[in-house]
Amino acid sequence: MKFIRIVTLCCAALLIAGGAIAQQKGNKGIKGKGKSKGGGALVIPEVEKKDIICFALYTVNDKVLKLTAQLYPVPGGDTKTVRLEIERDGKWVEVAKTEVIEQGWTAPFRVENWDDTKTQKYRVLHGEEASYEGTIRRNPIDKDEIVVAGFTGNSINAKHGGDLSRQDLIDNVNKVDADVLFFSGDQVYDHHRHYAAWLKFGRDFGEIIKDRPTLCLPDDHDAGQPNLWGESGKISTLSGAADGGYSQPGEYVQEVERAQTSHMPDPVDPHTIGQGIGVWFTNLNWGNIDFAILEDRKFKTGPAGRVPKQGPRPDHILNPDYDPASVDVEGAILLGERQLKFIDEWAQDWAHANMKVALSATIFCGGAHIHGAANGRLHADMDSNGWPQTGRNNALRGLRKGFAFHYAGDQHLATIFQQGIDEYGDAIYSFCVPSIANLYLRWWEPLEAGPNRAPGAPEYTGDHLDGFANKVTNFAAANPEKNPAGNILNTRAAGFGIVRFNTKTRDIEMECWPRNVDVTDPEAKQYPGWPLTISQFDNYNPRSWGKLGELTFDVENPVVQLIDAESDEILYTVRASGKSFIPGAPGGKTFIVKAGKDAPDTVVSKDAKVGGEAQAVTLQ
Amino acid sequence: MPRLKSDSLLLLFLRLGGFGCFAGWAWVLFYWEGPYGVLLWQDATFALAEKIGISWDEFVGSGAHDGLVQTWHSRIGWLYLICAILTLTVREKSRIQMAGLIGGAGLLVMLSYAKYLSANQQLPMFVEHGGQMLIPVILVLALAFGVRHRATVITAMVAFVMIFAGHGAYALGYPCPTPANFLGMTSIILHLEAETARIFLRIAGLLDILVCIGLFFRPLRRASALYAAVWGFLTALARPVAGMSPGLNYWGADQYLHEVVLRAPHFMIPLYLLFLWRKSEATDSLIAPSAVQDENTDPKTCCS
Repeated sequence: MKFIRIVTLCCAALLIAGGAIAQQKGNKGIKGKGKSKGGGALVIPEVEKKDIICFALYTVNDKVLKLTAQLYPVPGGDTKTVRLEIERDGKWVEVAKTEVIEQGWTAPFRVENWDDTKTQKYRVLHGEEASYEGTIRRNPIDKDEIVVAGFTGNSINAKHGGDLSRQDLIDNVNKVDADVLFFSGDQVYDHHRHYAAWLKFGRDFGEIIKDRPTLCLPDDHDAGQPNLWGESGKISTLSGAADGGYSQPGEYVQEVERAQTSHMPDPVDPHTIGQGIGVWFTNLNWGNIDFAILEDRKFKTGPAGRVPKQGPRPDHILNPDYDPASVDVEGAILLGERQLKFIDEWAQDWAHANMKVALSATIFCGGAHIHGAANGRLHADMDSNGWPQTGRNNALRGLRKGFAFHYAGDQHLATIFQQGIDEYGDAIYSFCVPSIANLYLRWWEPLEAGPNRAPGAPEYTGDHLDGFANKVTNFAAANPEKNPAGNILNTRAAGFGIVRFNTKTRDIEMECWPRNVDVTDPEAKQYPGWPLTISQFDNYNPRSWGKLGELTFDVENPVVQLIDAESDEILYTVRASGKSFIPGAPGGKTFIVKAGKDAPDTVVSKDAKVGGEAQAVTLQ
Repeated sequence: MPRLKSDSLLLLFLRLGGFGCFAGWAWVLFYWEGPYGVLLWQDATFALAEKIGISWDEFVGSGAHDGLVQTWHSRIGWLYLICAILTLTVREKSRIQMAGLIGGAGLLVMLSYAKYLSANQQLPMFVEHGGQMLIPVILVLALAFGVRHRATVITAMVAFVMIFAGHGAYALGYPCPTPANFLGMTSIILHLEAETARIFLRIAGLLDILVCIGLFFRPLRRASALYAAVWGFLTALARPVAGMSPGLNYWGADQYLHEVVLRAPHFMIPLYLLFLWRKSEATDSLIAPSAVQDENTDPKTCCS
């Protein structure tokens, strides 16, 4: 008995100690807290007091500056007060101060009556030594072209090249002098230590973030889980989280959202959801572009137990012969009523806006066929916004009313789609950007060639039904190599996106770049299918539509609204380009046309029809 | 020597533990998907396949058709089902069936290793599967040498320690973070705030470690085994209790119930040890003298 006791006690001790040792392995030489396993050197460095401010993010909207400084842990005896100063006439003037929030060490500032007509230098100060400087740009309303650089999937795992330098991204953003940075999600892949990973994100990207408005949309991995169907804040307990809700406690999610979104414009409907988790869906008006910042995960229903089982995971459908309508279950939510209401109002509001852009974590369709490290064909993935179909269609119906262009990520596969609801091409375009470093590979590879594709275009382009029978038209897909070589970023189709919005011509040019190229080099090549330029007005231009009579105005760029005379439903609202506009509309119906300088407050016609007469309109 | 009546009960606990584990995983593999993907879908496995003349398309599929990875992934479930049946049919002299169960233990080791890899190589993930990996071995030892044989009991104690040391390490949050679903289940079932749930789990984790130690001290071992049997059952049951709901298809039973079944070793192994060490053992009636004379009743090798 004694022998047994000794042997087994030794086993127990070895197991426990072994665990500890195993976790420490591979972290040798790293100084700091929160050492990582399997995720590269993820540490909270011990910094000197002068370096305690890691980085700062900001936006300016409607004359309100919101800036969040991200600090390293502040030692116990040190002040928790952080100050914000602006340089005016060569002197630093304090404009705000705040207390750092210990859970996540963020210092959020809010400055009202901000003069956005001029560029101003700022500095964030802590104690006597720490200072972090950047530039608040003026609102570029006089620029014709607004450049938005888009990123997603910031894996730091060395297996996928995540440990390689981001300097190429920094250099390229500086070269194109992006006006706005858009990080669509998965800025952080560590599911337990968001703070440490967020600091690393700041060290990697702070140099470009500090000088321009930046939008970060926390997605599933940021919130500490592999997929996210938020279900208004319920608690998820199922492995994979397909039961809906958040796996991490509410306080963790709140910390994540505070770090990534507290600098964004105030939420339009700030009521919290379950576990005290806040909301951040809102809009940012910058450079005459109105960006809707959407939360496509927070309210979404989890599929587990709600839809009939169709595959080896509650969220995966393998059977190509399944009935797509069977998973579009009643009560399943995508954006939720609160956001749909916001989108409806946003699409009608064209004050200070020539173009509209929707930003969200991912696109409104199933945008891939092959998933994972091998050729695993997945008919449909309910993590995509192709499901639930009714929710997807409702979202698209709202967005197309404002001719919104959709900019997103998450798929680990860059694509351009035009969405369809009732027919192919009757809704908005979406550009899904490639991952910074690609953790999980996907391919767009339909089994049949798509009809209506451009001459010479690959067979995977053209009209297709996604796995949920949603109508989609593909224009480009940056598929990775079939057997990618280790951590070489570009064989895994890593990269980033640039979208150039011309607020004068209303053209939208999408660029999709691999990693480690110089985007200003004429020899540099984008992924096949890019660049692609569309018009703002392509975002709601169904193939079946005709044209109403041309409207000629006495003012530049009026706002035009089309209303179905029978149902009183607003078909769309848009700011015309120049002094004339030919409204598109379905045949066989009568429309009320309204117009105005900044809002459609004047009835122009009560019985407009396709093929109608041209009309001169006086608005002044 | 005659066989104690309680030996049959002890054997039954081991059979049920093994059956539940294999049947639960068979359920997962047939109905859902097993964790083997992380082992199969990787360069090293492909390199191995390539050496024996299997092409990339044959290995991973063409995209239009399944490859060996997908095909065999779904077939592994049959092996688990066979092993589940073997746990009920295997007898003292069924050497082939015993070999089958040892093979089943190998499958469970691979499965646990795959889960360990999927969990970012967190050692507690592998360790806490010790009970599942070892239950077929314990059953085979019990049949080959006897339920009270030193080898059987030592293996069961090692399995016990692995289950609760792994579980305890996770609950304590050391050396790996506490899995989020531990906190979630605790919060839902006990209606606790996250911070209180965390404290609760720390205490539970500490108790997990203490029962591992208590197992080796005669005055504490029965209490330790009793606690572990109850706690092992409750933690297995926590999945469906926290997740099932009348609003879900089949009340969510297909999502959660297998989680209890495959964790049968987590409470059956402690139950086996509890009954092995129970006080009333001396008064157990004897069943008919065993025709199968083996070491299982030899007092020199008996551990109780």
